[in-house]
Amino acid sequence: MKSGRFHRILAAALSLVLFIGLTGCGGGGSSSGGGGGSGSGNSGDIKEFTMFTAMPGAEINDDNEVQQIIAEKTGVKVKETWLTGQTDGEAIGTIIAGGNYPDFINGGDAMKSLYEEGVLVPWDDYLDKYPNLKEMYSDEEWNSFRQDDGKIYWANVFQNTYGESRTTTHNDEAFWIQARVLEWAGYPEIKTLDQYFDVLDRYAKANPTMQNGTKVIPYTMLCEDWRYYCIENAPEFLDGYPNDGSVIVDKENMQIVDYNTTPTAKRYFQKLNEQYKAGNIDIEFATQTYDQYIAKLSTGAVLGMCDQWWNFAYNVNDVFKQQGLDAQGCNYVPLGLTIDEGMENRWHTYADTLNNSSGVAVTTSCSDIEAAFKFMNDILDQEIHDLRFWGVEGVDYLVDEDGMYYRTPEMRAQVADPAYKASHLCDYSYMPQWLGTSRDGKNAMQPAEQTSEFFDDLAEPLVKCFEAYNVDSYVDMIGSVVEDADPWFPMYSYSNAMTTATPGGVAWTKMGEVKHQWLPQVVMADNFEDTWAQYMAAYSAVNPQDFLSEMQTELERRAGL
Amino acid sequence: MKARRITWKEIKRQKFLMLCTLCFVIYGILFYYVPLGGWIMAFQNYKPKDGLIGSQFVGLEKFKFLFSDATFLRVIRNTLAMGVLNLVCTFVMAIVFAILLNEVRSNLGKKAVQTISYLPHFLSWIIVTGILQDALSSTGIVNELLVNWGLVKGPISFFSIPKLFWPIVAFANVWKETGWNAIVYLAAITSIDPSLYEAATIDGAGRWAKIKNVTIPGIKPTIMILLIMNIGNVLNAGFEVQYLLGNGLVKPVADTIDIYTLTWGISQNDYSLGTAAGIFKSVVAIILIVAANQFAKKTGEQRLF
Repeated sequence: MKSGRFHRILAAALSLVLFIGLTGCGGGGSSSGGGGGSGSGNSGDIKEFTMFTAMPGAEINDDNEVQQIIAEKTGVKVKETWLTGQTDGEAIGTIIAGGNYPDFINGGDAMKSLYEEGVLVPWDDYLDKYPNLKEMYSDEEWNSFRQDDGKIYWANVFQNTYGESRTTTHNDEAFWIQARVLEWAGYPEIKTLDQYFDVLDRYAKANPTMQNGTKVIPYTMLCEDWRYYCIENAPEFLDGYPNDGSVIVDKENMQIVDYNTTPTAKRYFQKLNEQYKAGNIDIEFATQTYDQYIAKLSTGAVLGMCDQWWNFAYNVNDVFKQQGLDAQGCNYVPLGLTIDEGMENRWHTYADTLNNSSGVAVTTSCSDIEAAFKFMNDILDQEIHDLRFWGVEGVDYLVDEDGMYYRTPEMRAQVADPAYKASHLCDYSYMPQWLGTSRDGKNAMQPAEQTSEFFDDLAEPLVKCFEAYNVDSYVDMIGSVVEDADPWFPMYSYSNAMTTATPGGVAWTKMGEVKHQWLPQVVMADNFEDTWAQYMAAYSAVNPQDFLSEMQTELERRAGL
Repeated sequence: MKARRITWKEIKRQKFLMLCTLCFVIYGILFYYVPLGGWIMAFQNYKPKDGLIGSQFVGLEKFKFLFSDATFLRVIRNTLAMGVLNLVCTFVMAIVFAILLNEVRSNLGKKAVQTISYLPHFLSWIIVTGILQDALSSTGIVNELLVNWGLVKGPISFFSIPKLFWPIVAFANVWKETGWNAIVYLAAITSIDPSLYEAATIDGAGRWAKIKNVTIPGIKPTIMILLIMNIGNVLNAGFEVQYLLGNGLVKPVADTIDIYTLTWGISQNDYSLGTAAGIFKSVVAIILIVAANQFAKKTGEQRLF
């Protein structure tokens, strides 16, 4: 073969590759997040802001109707973008590395890196100007948001009650079980982990498939990224402690206790291991992503799981309603399980939980900081707040002669439809908002908490279930002890904000890595005892003591000891 | 080829070509050499707030941390293992596929197969991993077939078995790239002088003998060049596949240097450590490619430079 000819062919092939490579790069240039630049007010005098939220969410249409109404009333429109396929740390890290900040940012657990980067605007100068914002928290609560330079840079938007609490849902973690399983079993008292798996096991044996032939999955768990709390933190609740998230606080001795190594933890994982071997646990539990998990729950085939209400309910319940699975009793009911019988449970948090480690912030890249704060203030006005959460009067809800808001069944079906949500509804869900009672003193701030809405919307099997257990709501159902939250609660607001700059933070990161790797193995182990011992060895090798002692110091600081 | 003296006259005569080249030289400097300035981060305790100039200089500390970190050593092993596995599998498959395709008599069939087989190259990894995840899920086609044929009792969760992770990644690479990689070989095969085949036929060579004695020696220079180029890429064992297919359970075998760089550099905000890991990767890649080229030179084969 002649060398010249060969070179020509090679050159042609290479230039083709190069060409494709170049054009390919051009297309994929702008990565997620960022959003860059800001309000240029190009449609009339409506200012356009960008917002990035480090949580997955559904993007709404550009011509969304409620968003347009809010824009006309407040003069501001915010284009929201969401986390896609990354962790919050990666997304915020990418934004910091790129230096292109949106106007608003809700950075999940990565707020601290944004603060350290110096790109957030302090709220202190604006709070007094905007009464609606100021009203969100008491002075003491605002103070808890202060960073080490003494300023406030963000405000958490969730779990904040205006006036009287209207809670009907158990917006916390629980072992959930489908109403149809309870009905089939004759509404037994289920108090312990053993009883729970016993019912799941018996139901699955008696009813191996759903009406449409899908095989039931008695129990599944999510192990992905930060959502692995679904497998990981049950031992703290099973021992009767509240959701401090990363540790147990032993109130008698004011000591931090590691729930990963308690006897209860071992019993819990042993139970999971036994159930896995019995074929009662989804074999894909260790590898599924959040989307796959939600898709699986949405089929109605999963009988039970341990999860936070907000992690699944908003997606899954809408699908159940649209598919008619709610009428088959697929909706989940929370159970307040403990490891042994006769213990108090603290799965439900009655008071507002203030997670001061994350929230919404305005960045220094914002073109009109004043307008940004004004907007956050405006959307807390009752009229706008109603628009965000209830929708348009006469279209999305009606008002009766007593001034109470209600929805017809058609309206309820409509607001559960993803296409309608994208084209019509706009709740700015990661912006400041209220729970509790509306300023009119009658209605609930958000429809999910409107008592009449709650009961009218409740599927028949759930009503029957609540009647059988003689309870009125999810909260009664789980039956947690009623008590005030302790001043240090929740401890996770401290551990969430830890960085690898301290030994405790390094240990915390590594503990997470070890648990991500070992917990699924422990559940799937052929020989539980051996694998548990290996896991414990790997766990103690990353010095959890460093983490625990930093938590102890923070506990003592918070408790004022 | 004889080296020719470059004179001003020559350059003037080729000024259009020179201009074209200049664009790419500038492009190369701008996008390949200027960013190398960022390597200085690896020797600093870099904080974006302080910038490249203001950050504290720490010398080789980051590298020390890197090589004493058990995770990094494991990540190097994973990268090399998957890189070599991918290289061998895709390389061999592409050559075999090209030769087989060349033997197909029907022109129409050949064209059809070629077109279909290179199409996966244009799918992005997110699509390919999506297909893989569906196919290998507990209700996917693979498990369905295995169960129906009675080969296994219940469905297998492929992605929770660490031993299977590397083969799955290699398979994904082969599936995606075989057709595309074969194009170059097919082109090389068509440029083989047909008289060689005629001569071989007259000498009584069968199909196999012709493949062995004409086709393979004919495409050997191409094979060598591509091998050298690909060896430099061994450490680019991938980012997307492992990132998208991995999970907590297979993390110890799935994480590559690129993922390590991302985790430390971006999620943990330690840009210096991420850069150090990146430098290590580049240096190893350069060593590999130079070594492979020297080897080719020694054995008297085609080489890159």
